[in-house]
Amino acid sequence: MSSLLDKINFTKPRWQVFSRVLAAVFGGYALATAASLFIAQLLIYIIEKNQAIHISIMLTFLIYAGTAIWVFSVTSARQAWVGLLKFNVILLASTWLLMQFTDVTS
Amino acid sequence: MKDTFRQSMKWFHTWVGLVVGWVLFFMFITGSAGYFYKEITHYMEPERPLINHQLSNSELLDKAQQYMSIHASDVQEWDVFLPSRRDTNLQVGWRHAPKEGESRGKYIKQVLDANTGQQVITRATGGGRSLYRMHYSLHYLETRLSYWIVGFCTMLMLLAVITGVVIHKKIFSDFFTFRAKKGLPGWLDSHNVLSVIALPFHFMITYSGLLFFPFIYMALSVSIQTNEPELNELMDEVYPSSAEVTPANIPAKMQSLSSLYEQTKTIWSDDKLELVEIYAANDINAHIRFSRSVTDITYNPSDEIVFNGVTGERISEPERQYTVSAMIHNGFISLHEGQFSVTIVRWLYFFTGLIGAAMIASGLVLWTTKRKPQQMKKPNGPDFGYRLVEQLNIGTIVGLPIAIASYFYGNRLLPIEMANRAEWEIHLLFISWALLLTYPAYRPKAKAWSEQLHLAAAIFIFMPVLNALTTDKHLGITLSHGDWLYAGFDLTMLAIGLTFAFAGFKFNKSQRNKTSQSKSAKTQRSNIKTTVDNELVLNKENSGAL
Repeated sequence: MSSLLDKINFTKPRWQVFSRVLAAVFGGYALATAASLFIAQLLIYIIEKNQAIHISIMLTFLIYAGTAIWVFSVTSARQAWVGLLKFNVILLASTWLLMQFTDVTS
Repeated sequence: MKDTFRQSMKWFHTWVGLVVGWVLFFMFITGSAGYFYKEITHYMEPERPLINHQLSNSELLDKAQQYMSIHASDVQEWDVFLPSRRDTNLQVGWRHAPKEGESRGKYIKQVLDANTGQQVITRATGGGRSLYRMHYSLHYLETRLSYWIVGFCTMLMLLAVITGVVIHKKIFSDFFTFRAKKGLPGWLDSHNVLSVIALPFHFMITYSGLLFFPFIYMALSVSIQTNEPELNELMDEVYPSSAEVTPANIPAKMQSLSSLYEQTKTIWSDDKLELVEIYAANDINAHIRFSRSVTDITYNPSDEIVFNGVTGERISEPERQYTVSAMIHNGFISLHEGQFSVTIVRWLYFFTGLIGAAMIASGLVLWTTKRKPQQMKKPNGPDFGYRLVEQLNIGTIVGLPIAIASYFYGNRLLPIEMANRAEWEIHLLFISWALLLTYPAYRPKAKAWSEQLHLAAAIFIFMPVLNALTTDKHLGITLSHGDWLYAGFDLTMLAIGLTFAFAGFKFNKSQRNKTSQSKSAKTQRSNIKTTVDNELVLNKENSGAL
């Protein structure tokens, strides 16, 4: 049993890489989605709603790319996950706050 | 990941590029070919007559209308494609009413002989369009799944482009240092030059690639923010289209296309015409749209004139309106597709596309070149991963072009009457590719490179010969008739073949140099050893004497 646990030692580099891949793909997608909601809410102040959504969708790909790069630049996988969680919460909370000031329900 | 940011990015760039490099290579090659999809179709339907008439557009329109009123009388949507620079034959098309369970009916397109006004029976072929479609919908997979795979690969390409820039502190001075050496520095410099020389193109083509299906990729975000009717409204804004015409189901006799064309000629004051679209044909609601230039976002509303087909009155249609975001979005898509380009720009697109493919290929080769010295020292031979990468490299970088040539060979050699002929052309492509991917596993790698390069050279150079043997349109005829689409294809095949021949020659030469170098290095080393031994003996003798 212990030998099996030794074999799948989660501190091994390959598990660290695997964890980062998951963080970049799924955490990155979540962050890109949250960011698009936030950008759309921001843009609604200056531009019509459909266009705000449209622009935010087009920008998400760049945000997604930036996030993936960031995930692979920090020192540990743990740091990447914590950072992703933090930014997701911040973005969703600010989106919610912004929505309180606009009449636009979405 | 690593100690410094730049090192982490170097690691990331390497692996992001490697994981999907072969799919990206496939996408770049088929995409580059796609810039000439009409020209490829022209070549793959060799039954199309050579142009030897001086008929005016009015005469062609009469012939097309006559043909369709006989052969498509029960259909409401007609198109007439006038001969153009990219498509020199008169063609007609019509869309059947959708069958049950279909959202759109089947579209039929036929080539007409301009002299007789009758259909030219062409062989069943996928043409350039099937080849182009693989670029974004792969082939055997379900469409939606393909879009996701293609999107994922494109995202990794975007990451590779961005990190590629990041890891180069001195990107422009690197660009000007080209060490035409063999081995690692040579490959690294080639990769850099190929990347930097077309960097704006690489970025544009990758980012705009993601903008083809953004609402599929970001479906979660869209569904949070919109409901069904809102989404439909958004889609109409993003992809503006002309209003649809519904038939009143009251039959009426349409005016002749040529008489309406007389009116457009006076309005435009020239005789250019590319496309005529007829909606609700032979109905009291019939609309006929004349277009003298068909492109995309770059369309000019004054290039289109619409008539009521029965009364012949001019109808002023509202122009397609683009919002700012739709303008940006469609602008990127237009840039990606290059539909607006004239011949020379199309060639530029083709070559930059190939530079992209070469960039990917050099990156993949770089991966193995870097690891080769270390891998060769291993007691049990190179690792499985290393051998796999090398095999995939040979099988894709040289194998895929051969496979595409097989697609053209299939077009010429498969029996004309064969069932599912068009589908078998494509099977042939993938069967050849599979064989060429497997072959390097059973050969020494240097041999496999050399053999496949020479096979590629032979198969491409032989294409014009095969064409001369199987059709009545060899280079002598097409060139003297000025059919540059057809002749251009043969000549391009020849040029690609010669390039492969040159690559094969260079490769063999470098292999010979390498072996002779290592031999001379060995003799040098043994010479040094003997001198050292002699000196030792001398020293010993001297010390003995002392």
